[in-house]
Amino acid sequence: MTTFRRRIRQSIENPTLQTALDNNSERRLKGKSLAFESIPDWRERRQRAHHIRADVIENLDNYLNQFITNAENNDVIVHRAKDAAEAIDIVLRISNIEHRKPLIAKSKSMVSEEIELNHALEKHGVNVIETDLGEYIVQLRKERPSHIITPAAHLKKEQVAQLFHEKLGIPYTEDIPALTATARKVLREVFLTADIGISGVNFGVAETGGICIVTNEGNGRMVASIPKTHIALMGMERLAPNLDDLALLLSLLPRSATGQKLTVYTQLIHKPMPGQTRHLIILDNGRSKLRNSPLKESLYCIRCGACLNACPVFRELSGHAYIGRNLSIAPYPGPIGSVISPGLFGENYFQLAQASSLCGACKETCPVDIDLPKLLTRVRAGEVDNGKWKVRGGLGLTWSTKLFLKTFACLATQPKLFALSQKFASLTTHLLSPRSEWMRLPAFTGWGYSKDLPRFAGKTFRERWQGMDKKIDEYTGKRVDRHESKQAEQTNLPVSPVSLSTTSLVSLFTSELSALSGNVHQTNNPTQSIIEYLLSNNIKKIYLQPNVLDETLLRQSGIDFTHEPDPTLTVGVTKACAGLAETGSVLEADEELFGSLLPEIHLAVLESKNILPSLPDAIEMTRGKNAVLITGPSRTADIEMTLTIGVHGPKEIHVFVDDSKRG
Amino acid sequence: MPTIQLFITCLTDSFFPKTGEAVVDILSRLGINVDFAPGQTCCGQPQFNAGLRKDARAVAEHTIKLFEKTQGDIVTPSGSCAHHFRHNLLELFEGDAKWHPRAEKFGKRVFEFTEYLVDHLGITDLGATWDGLLTYHPSCHTLRGLNVDKQPRTLLQNVKGATLVELPNAHECCGFGGVMSVEHPELSAEWLKRKIFNLEKTPSPTLVVTDAGCLMHILGGLKRHGKPQRVMHIAEILRNT
Repeated sequence: MTTFRRRIRQSIENPTLQTALDNNSERRLKGKSLAFESIPDWRERRQRAHHIRADVIENLDNYLNQFITNAENNDVIVHRAKDAAEAIDIVLRISNIEHRKPLIAKSKSMVSEEIELNHALEKHGVNVIETDLGEYIVQLRKERPSHIITPAAHLKKEQVAQLFHEKLGIPYTEDIPALTATARKVLREVFLTADIGISGVNFGVAETGGICIVTNEGNGRMVASIPKTHIALMGMERLAPNLDDLALLLSLLPRSATGQKLTVYTQLIHKPMPGQTRHLIILDNGRSKLRNSPLKESLYCIRCGACLNACPVFRELSGHAYIGRNLSIAPYPGPIGSVISPGLFGENYFQLAQASSLCGACKETCPVDIDLPKLLTRVRAGEVDNGKWKVRGGLGLTWSTKLFLKTFACLATQPKLFALSQKFASLTTHLLSPRSEWMRLPAFTGWGYSKDLPRFAGKTFRERWQGMDKKIDEYTGKRVDRHESKQAEQTNLPVSPVSLSTTSLVSLFTSELSALSGNVHQTNNPTQSIIEYLLSNNIKKIYLQPNVLDETLLRQSGIDFTHEPDPTLTVGVTKACAGLAETGSVLEADEELFGSLLPEIHLAVLESKNILPSLPDAIEMTRGKNAVLITGPSRTADIEMTLTIGVHGPKEIHVFVDDSKRG
Repeated sequence: MPTIQLFITCLTDSFFPKTGEAVVDILSRLGINVDFAPGQTCCGQPQFNAGLRKDARAVAEHTIKLFEKTQGDIVTPSGSCAHHFRHNLLELFEGDAKWHPRAEKFGKRVFEFTEYLVDHLGITDLGATWDGLLTYHPSCHTLRGLNVDKQPRTLLQNVKGATLVELPNAHECCGFGGVMSVEHPELSAEWLKRKIFNLEKTPSPTLVVTDAGCLMHILGGLKRHGKPQRVMHIAEILRNT
């Protein structure tokens, strides 16, 4: 038995892991299908997204050049790394030049897992701390993430409780909000003192040179905005041509990943923060090779993880069981991982592609419609490099299966021999099992492991055919329905152009944000309403973005405020440039993190006339700016998929919708 | 009176010939002339899926050549073989100026049995009768490969006396997956266990499928564990008048 199969057995025989995996699949599948109900034109969006990604990969050099030029014009320092060693070297150089013995706060990045960045940094004495709750947990356990979206999907809360008790010295508790609060406290210190922040990139936008980062907890925003140096790591294929295309991709990514209409913090970064140096490392690491191979379509992937959740293989294995022949854990698990891991890193991971029934659940769920079953068969055929068929097909198969299939193929081209072998098989199975139609084969045969095998029929169909009465009976006269329309009633209704009134936009905005545990207050005098809110909650001092509230009135009411960054304040007030009715989001300047990210309570003032229907209507406003879309309070589901509010960002968000200036 | 070619599939031919008889019976009763090309063997999907493309090509070329000598649509009681002919062959012969067009032409003639009845002939009621409950397992390649789901369900709903109950998590793979069921028996076993668990949640004693692969796999699992339920190909239900 191969080590891979042994590893699969270990996963299957681990009941804790199996419960966690079932939990992950069931919740994610349900969440995704609910989220897609809100975009009835999703089939069309999916095809558009497929074409956008296909266009990007087809014209990657052009888009990359455009992207890099624009990013550099935005004062972002762009580096290109051809492989893991180069990328690591660049990070180390930045660390050494700009800081001595730096502390690095890191948010989730699959590219960093791919190049094993943490391992390399630690070897050079650099202290790097993962800040996504799930990543933090697996880092403390010295493990790799088991899922690309939910890194600690394999763990139960008892294991996290024990871990935090041992490593962080807190009293043992299985209370998930308490565990989350502990991480908040520990990591807040890291955010505020880190010299460098490292993040991944969800999309780069060629037309603007901007990068988009989405996180639910708020850690992405922290690491990209607080430290004096930000390093963003991206795979070279992760581009969208323009902001409209980005808006479309963003309507699919969070819905597919976590069942959200929009991730809590969707950052659109175009330039460094004041006083900050921003680096962008664009990684090849085999992607150019992949792009020129029959596995090219795998580069369309937007890393939502939906195929992992839908895959029955992943549901038994978890990410840690996707191992190569040298026992190393593949950087990317699941159906997409079984294609890109061998695609990027070669033969070591070929065996992963054989562990699939090609059931197609991955293709069906993929938001950019990647034909994963087809790509899996290409890996199996050894079509990894560009060019003609490799001689050695059937990669990862056992020799006995290969021999059987080759012999069978040989027989299948010679009908007489085929019929003869059927006779022989029938005779043999009848001898082996004279009484029963079903035979019990030993487990080592594979089939016999869990099911019986039917005897070959005494008389095959082809033999029966000779003697069959093939005369066509007279039409029996039974009623036969002939229906004209072939599935005419597709439920895919075209979406009518949105022409909602301000009132209905406000009410949609309110219901969407309330569904995310956010609060909406309608008012004609936001300063007065906020004073009332503060006084009733006994809050005396706040961080206030300039030019948002009537400061004289605040002073008269005894509310102290500051425009200076102060991480000790619990309430921040900011201005929202726009609201999105469809998702209950507010669009704000990313720089206002002391108002909208660090405090426990975030109050945003939004003029009702600035509530727009959905993201495509607002995305232009982010051009050239550092903007963030905030959709509800900070949250996580990294421990046992249990939704917990208030991780790194605010626990409460209140939007004061100002109706006084309605045009 | 149209003539169709029956592609019986190696599994139905070797293990479940009665399914083939049912298909012939149903089509004949509809006034269709059923022809069977005796040179047919296997579709070559096992080799294709395993990555043995050279071998898969040899088998596919044999089949294409054979059916090029025949007339009419090609009907097969297996969603996965139909999917192989219609979709995989295009992949298999991609870039081959000689074989790709032939494969494409051939693939367009191929229909899965229930798809042929409903979409092509426009028949949704065969006048079949059944006494009792039925539940339906949509085979992966029928459901996701060919997008055929409503067709078999409609045909079953119109069987007099039968009550169709929904199989929980019906869309999940049964764990057959061709050679995967022997190469990764542990995975296959887990999915089979879940399929049987879901089947047992229904009161139906009969599970209906459109593919001999799933039939052999699920029924093999039921036999191994001494379960009373049976698995039947849809043709055998629809034949029952």
